[in-house]
Amino acid sequence: MPVLNLLQAVNDALRTEMRRDDRVVVLGEDVGKFGGVFRATAGLYEEFGENRVIDTPLAEGGIVGAAIGMSLYGMRPVPEVQFADFIYPAYDQIVSELAKFRYRSGGQYPCSMVIRTPYGGGIKGGLYHSQSPESVFIHHAGLKVVVPSNPYDAKGLLLSAMRQEDPVLFMEPKRIYRAAKGEVPEEDYTVPLEKAALLREGDDVTVIAWGAMLHEAVAAVDEAEKKSGIRCDLLDLRTLWPLDIDAVVASAKKTGRVVVVHEAARTCGLGAEISALIQERAFVHLEAPVKRVTGWDTPFPYTLDDAYLPRAPRILQGIHDVVEFVA
Amino acid sequence: MAKFEFRLPDIGEGVVEGEIVKWLVSVGDTIAEDQALVEVMTDKATVTIPSPKAGKVVERHGNEGEIAKVHGTLVVLETEGGAAEAPAPAAAHAAAPAPAAAAAPKAAPAAEEGRRVLATPVTRRMAREHGVNLAAVVGTGPQGRVTKEDLLGFVSGGAANQAVPAAQPGMQLPPAPAVVATAADQRIPIRGLRRKIAENLVRSKQSAPHYHFVEEVDATDLVALRDRLNAKLAKSGEKLSFLPFIVKAVIGALKKNPRCNAVMDEAAQELVIRGEYNIGIAVATDDGLVVPVIHHADKLSMREIAKEIVRLSDAARNRKLSQADIGGGTFTITSLGQTGGLFATPILNHPEVAIMGVHRMRKRPVVNDAGEIVVRDIMNLSWAFDHRNVDGAEGAKFAYDVIDLVTDPDKLMLEMA
Repeated sequence: MPVLNLLQAVNDALRTEMRRDDRVVVLGEDVGKFGGVFRATAGLYEEFGENRVIDTPLAEGGIVGAAIGMSLYGMRPVPEVQFADFIYPAYDQIVSELAKFRYRSGGQYPCSMVIRTPYGGGIKGGLYHSQSPESVFIHHAGLKVVVPSNPYDAKGLLLSAMRQEDPVLFMEPKRIYRAAKGEVPEEDYTVPLEKAALLREGDDVTVIAWGAMLHEAVAAVDEAEKKSGIRCDLLDLRTLWPLDIDAVVASAKKTGRVVVVHEAARTCGLGAEISALIQERAFVHLEAPVKRVTGWDTPFPYTLDDAYLPRAPRILQGIHDVVEFVA
Repeated sequence: MAKFEFRLPDIGEGVVEGEIVKWLVSVGDTIAEDQALVEVMTDKATVTIPSPKAGKVVERHGNEGEIAKVHGTLVVLETEGGAAEAPAPAAAHAAAPAPAAAAAPKAAPAAEEGRRVLATPVTRRMAREHGVNLAAVVGTGPQGRVTKEDLLGFVSGGAANQAVPAAQPGMQLPPAPAVVATAADQRIPIRGLRRKIAENLVRSKQSAPHYHFVEEVDATDLVALRDRLNAKLAKSGEKLSFLPFIVKAVIGALKKNPRCNAVMDEAAQELVIRGEYNIGIAVATDDGLVVPVIHHADKLSMREIAKEIVRLSDAARNRKLSQADIGGGTFTITSLGQTGGLFATPILNHPEVAIMGVHRMRKRPVVNDAGEIVVRDIMNLSWAFDHRNVDGAEGAKFAYDVIDLVTDPDKLMLEMA
């Protein structure tokens, strides 16, 4: 089985689906001849030509709006927004049109498409190339939001996303585009949406993370077990919305202690929602308040991105905080 | 003219209320800045509150014997000067919380009874499953939180729970029987110092398993030594009681048995062995028992200790003890002098782990080493120890180290620092 990085896995998924289904088209700034700013669409233009791999002007509203139109006429577009930080020009198209078409048409126009967008910090990208806007889109009903944390999931989740009827925002953690490597089957396979992955099992604490932060969480969880004998359930959410609430609640009930990790700012981040859900559904099992280890409520800093992101030591402290809380 | 509303300031860490002992001003009085307004007795000390401003007293809130809440209005002054002097217009007084003194006598006990039990959700669920009322469980967690371990200890019958060695055994407070009133009754509210004494003693008895140790002491030589020293001091007007000698003997014994000069950190489940020798002296006052502390008693001479005891006892009886006089004790001596009885069973001054009682001295017939009956000055000393930290043999050794120095004051002089 070939070892791919996360970018190559995305590329593999796009190629696989474009070969399988000729309704699939890719569009966005530089996705064609150049192969994408991160090379996620490399080679697709050569294989599928300019009618299925479309270079567009730098106009996110136009890219997403055009894709919505294609979708309504039966195509399966996969627009790329080159950085999630610049998704806001397309915000109205996404939340007012894309997220609502299926609902307002009573299911007649599914508006099936996947917006791919690299997101997240840790690449010294500064305040306009580091943000994590997932909760903004989760708040608008009608969209699925998916974040892979490894190459295997990236291919399997992207193939699932492209094959279902709801619109999907597929957010790619760019910090681990090349850092996350793993075996990825050459053949066609899917990873189900809406299912979290349980990567470690333990009775003491539940740690919930996704994307690039999953790797920090793994380091913290392993350290907690090695140094202090604290055993954690580690959940990779994979699909942020609809959330795998059953997995979250089951684990919270088992351990009674939860740490949610995300690099988006704390206030109204997805961690707040997860914390509230646990409080509603597992209250009597809680041994400690749900702990959030997150980015800060500031613009993403230009020079201090290590301090902004929840790195492993901060997550480890969070684990100790909930363990040492007196129940 | 402007009005100035003076509220009871936060007069000590953690103090939320105080009893108005004595008003020193009346409505209509014109007072100077810093003039004493009122004496307030908190659970820690009685303090005199001075006025921050000069002016005429136009309102006085609360009668003597009533409770004043911290941040509740004490007096309203009419002051010279502009409107800036008035922090709130007169109308705002009505909108503010009800005058503290009027509402407090009822509100305080009610608030105490209705206090929410602190516990996490998981502990509450377990309490429900076991059919336990959490209010009946003594909490040992942060801010008195009832922990899972407290609950488990309670459920397992309050015995030390082997499965959770760090836990404090929970204890059930039986429901208080109703008191039926009769015409001849006099009801005295348990407040201020009295309430604090009650709380501390209950806490001590509930948390620390006490054991007591009593022994008879031949103080004949000490009596002789004291007589000689007092004869020397007669001209200066000074006089030594037995207490300074006993304090020094205790310090000598504490140095040999440091685990008795310690406090129990319940939250951390750690014994904290103190490096200082701050000896608390229990003093009976009209208000109740207080325990002022002779700080660094190991570094004071016998005369200095005697003076300090006089100062502290007077201050205690006149309600003039400062916060500094009360805190920081490492070991307590309770001495009832000639009302001291044969022996008693002192209760630990929580969280200290040892206390010593000094009892009445009198001439008694005793059998000496030669088998003869002789008359000696005999008194009993009693001790209580926290058995979690001080075992029987250890406590007994400490007791005999004290006795050794009391019985043989020459040795005490040789060992005294």
